[in-house]
Amino acid sequence: MKSKLLLALLTITLAGTAAAQLKPEDAIKFRQSGYSFMAWNMGRIKASVEGQFNKDEVIKSANAIQAIANSGMGALYPAGSDHGTGWEKTRVKPEFFTNKEGVAKVAMAFNKEANEMAKVAATGDAAAVKEQFGKLGASCKACHDDFKIKQ
Amino acid sequence: MNGKRFLLWDLPTRLFHWLLVLAVIGAMVSGQLGGNLMVWHGRLGIFVVGLLAFRLVWGLVGSTYARFTQFFPLPARVGAYLRGEWRGEGHNPLGAFAVFAFFGLLTAQVASGLFSNDDIAFTGPLFSLVDKALSNRLTGLHHLLSNALIALVCLHVAAIVYYGRVKKQPLVKAMLTGWKDGASGESARGGGIVALVIALSVSFALAYGASGNWLPPPPAPPAASETPDW
Repeated sequence: MKSKLLLALLTITLAGTAAAQLKPEDAIKFRQSGYSFMAWNMGRIKASVEGQFNKDEVIKSANAIQAIANSGMGALYPAGSDHGTGWEKTRVKPEFFTNKEGVAKVAMAFNKEANEMAKVAATGDAAAVKEQFGKLGASCKACHDDFKIKQ
Repeated sequence: MNGKRFLLWDLPTRLFHWLLVLAVIGAMVSGQLGGNLMVWHGRLGIFVVGLLAFRLVWGLVGSTYARFTQFFPLPARVGAYLRGEWRGEGHNPLGAFAVFAFFGLLTAQVASGLFSNDDIAFTGPLFSLVDKALSNRLTGLHHLLSNALIALVCLHVAAIVYYGRVKKQPLVKAMLTGWKDGASGESARGGGIVALVIALSVSFALAYGASGNWLPPPPAPPAASETPDW
């Protein structure tokens, strides 16, 4: 019993440190994967908006984006991850790590639009989906404009 | 005002100019705002390709003052202008630099935009012809050049204000009406219907090429039965 308790405690501690000690390269990989996966889903909504509207596709994609937006990706920007290479060289600007208020503002705005996107997708209203898709894209752009390096 | 005037800018040249003004302003605004306006940003880019192609041909077969040979900034012409000895009409040798700078800059701008992507949901109409890394670099160039373009537009407008206020030459009026007051110039000739048809044909052909509509359509989404439930 005692050893089991010790093992559990050890596991929790290890898991805790593992999360805290996320290597910068891994953090960069995870966040790049998140954005890349969202881009796939943005493309699926776009296909519905520009071509044949498919309610199921839109719901799946919007929910995926909402889930990632609310996953706490802010944790993927640990100290030291301002430079480095994940799947590719990170394109985050140094300002991202110094202008915390600015980042919070664009991040919250994005979360709001992502939540709204999922809500609108559920209605299946094609016109409303198109409008919200535009707002969501603009909220991505707001962060790219200020905090993403243009190659 | 002695009542004498001559035709400086033919109608196609004027239409080209003002449509380009509207298209570039529209592209700048839509590009800055993003979102659903990116669809229009892409369309305007293709439209500008058509406009540039038209002007390129019109510079060869258009009427007198629209022709590149008429105003190409040769060193002798520029020297004469700087000494105050140039007596031509139309684009002066310094203005000609601006014309070709606009031409080069806008060409690079639309060319890079056609292959660009915004990492959100927009891709240029010819994006599929290049790999993502190259598209990213062209997108970076597109952003960089937009600043140069804004600077050149400001210089252009400032020069027009200077010529109007200081040198008392109403350049905008001639670009609107086509006519310039004065007895020193001869009315523009050439640029007839055949030249117009040739220029428009090349223009439409290039705009079609830029639109990417000739590319094979992307594969249709898989039928529901082929898509796994998960």
